[in-house]
Amino acid sequence: MERRELIQWLVATAGLPSLAFGRQVHRRPLRRSLSAHVERTLTVATERILPGAAEANVAAFIDKMLADWHTPEERARFLAGLPELDTRCHTRRAADFVACPEADQVAVLTALDDEVTALRAQRGGGTANQHWFAMLKYLTVYGWCTSEAGMRALGLYPMAGRYDGCAPV
Amino acid sequence: MTQVRDATHFDAIVVGSGMTGGWAAKELTERGLRTLVLEAGRPITPERDYVEHKPPWEMPFRGLGDARAVAARQPVQSHSVSFDEWSHVFWTDDRDNPYTTPADRPFHWFRARQVGGKSTIWGRQVYRWSDLDFEANARDAIAIDWPIRYADIAPWYDHVERFIGVSGQAEGLAHLPDGPFLPPMALNCVEQHVRDRVQARFGRDRVVTIGRVANLTAPHHSRAPCHYCGPCHRGCITRSYFSSVNATLPAARATGRLTLRPFSIVRSLVYDAPKRRVTGVRMIDANTKTEREYTARIVFLCASALESARILLNSGLANSSGQVGRNVMDHIKGGGASGQFDGWTDRRTIGERPNGIYVPRFRNVTSRHPGFIRGYAFQGGAGRAGWESALRAPGIGAALKERLTQLGPWSMNFGGFGEMLPREENRATLHPTLVDAWGIPTLHIECQWSDNELAIHRDMSVTAAELLEAAGAKDVQPSTRGPSTPGGTNHEMGTARMGRDPKTSVLNGWNQTWDVPNLFVTDGAAMTSSGCQNPSLTYMALTARACHYAVELLKRGDL
Repeated sequence: MERRELIQWLVATAGLPSLAFGRQVHRRPLRRSLSAHVERTLTVATERILPGAAEANVAAFIDKMLADWHTPEERARFLAGLPELDTRCHTRRAADFVACPEADQVAVLTALDDEVTALRAQRGGGTANQHWFAMLKYLTVYGWCTSEAGMRALGLYPMAGRYDGCAPV
Repeated sequence: MTQVRDATHFDAIVVGSGMTGGWAAKELTERGLRTLVLEAGRPITPERDYVEHKPPWEMPFRGLGDARAVAARQPVQSHSVSFDEWSHVFWTDDRDNPYTTPADRPFHWFRARQVGGKSTIWGRQVYRWSDLDFEANARDAIAIDWPIRYADIAPWYDHVERFIGVSGQAEGLAHLPDGPFLPPMALNCVEQHVRDRVQARFGRDRVVTIGRVANLTAPHHSRAPCHYCGPCHRGCITRSYFSSVNATLPAARATGRLTLRPFSIVRSLVYDAPKRRVTGVRMIDANTKTEREYTARIVFLCASALESARILLNSGLANSSGQVGRNVMDHIKGGGASGQFDGWTDRRTIGERPNGIYVPRFRNVTSRHPGFIRGYAFQGGAGRAGWESALRAPGIGAALKERLTQLGPWSMNFGGFGEMLPREENRATLHPTLVDAWGIPTLHIECQWSDNELAIHRDMSVTAAELLEAAGAKDVQPSTRGPSTPGGTNHEMGTARMGRDPKTSVLNGWNQTWDVPNLFVTDGAAMTSSGCQNPSLTYMALTARACHYAVELLKRGDL
């Protein structure tokens, strides 16, 4: 399935109870801690941030982290920020984020990424990591890089079974 | 040799099944003794319990750890460098195993209760001591003299190294003696460059060599060579690194004379005052919390430095010197430096080498440093950062994905491990009221660095930067980390020291308690000074040596 098709299919099937892609997906369904709309938004947003994230089911990892790892404050900050994707899309297309054309989704995410990058460049930029979009992006990148698909793509899995300290790139 | 009379009497009891307990079990059973090993924790079955090949996507938190459970149950243990989401099961539960420190003097007491103890999660770096170390206290008029010299222990280093398998590079340094090494692991391109440049600048004064590590690089005693998967502290299904589960306990079991009892927490020793002998131990079954006794002709305490001291203190034994629990030592770390290297952009490493470089001690070896006595060694390595360095990189989409696949520039770091001097006031005592989950009085630990350690810590960052600059590194950054928390290197030792005089030491030159001739302590408690080398090899050599001595005494009827 092409990525474009995948995203279209994602949006089309957004109301189904469970989303699962590929054999590396956790067999358990997504946790019920997030609303269906949030799940759908996360799935599309992670895919736009890092192509392949949807197939690697990064949204399920984010759900798990929000439910069982992050503090209640972090979870609240994240969930309070996420609707901004819809708000920003509405000003462009009068549609929710998931229903917007890909170009608009990318534009909205790029703007947020630029804002976090600008925060990072400020004095005391340490607070940039607490921005809800910085959380989303971090979890997306980490989730994909530690998925089977991600580790295969990065050449980290399967293991080499030997050591070469001066191998050609 | 006596035969087992019933299920509760043995020739020997060994308390602890880790680094030294495994060696005591092997040596005593191979010398004919029916030996009971009491282990406080659970049994370990490699096929079930080792998790080194479990990929991150099979872990609930992908390797980030269960933050809430860790905060609640393992806030101390989680400070260890080998604690992670996979290996946390090999560390104790801090709630069940409490201890206290002064509020302004934290001490990290890392503890492992399972068959194999900390030998499953250790760093595997093994370095011999030399007379630079054994003569140090006498030379500096610090504390008391060691009762042994290198010549006393050298054959036992050979004995241990031949069994465990140590890969390393012979360097011919008098103060870091070579052993019967297996082939060394390879330096990577930048490490080789740094070795060459440091040699050109410092000659044989500062040597960059590959770490000497208890990982096999060739088949050895039916154990397979390392396959470079990386996370040894999660176990090793091919038994390629030394641990008691992987090597010594199977050897002991093969004699038919080993009885291993897990879930057995030793509360105290049982003492026959008229005979001045221990008759056995009193233990609590960790599951049923019932108490029972086992008897034996000799007892070896191999429970780890602080646990063995705790058993002695709870028994009120072997402490006529008042030295039990005193002289707590660790190695100070936190100092060092890192730098970047241009070039080799067409080169990378493949595989996860479970080892780094080592720079043997060079301070106060042939010259005298004005700011401190003793010294430190560096461990470290070179590499190229992968995706972890791009977790917060700007951009999204295909460009971000491309960025994740790019390797960063080569960088190299050196981190120091410094000697700590023995001081009586660094001390573990029985807590007056606090007990563990089994009702056994626990410890109050007071331990802090002295000016000598702090001066060593500062010097580490200066000389690490010198090494990097000599090698042509750019953007050299001295460490900004302060001194590590005492205990944080997990090299705690010294709490029942060896010596020449019963008035000032707990053990004689054979790890035998002065007060109770059939009681031996052979773990880190025995150490009279700390050196700066990773200490497990010396603990193992002392254990094997003491076992042979004890068996000779038994044969002569002297115990």
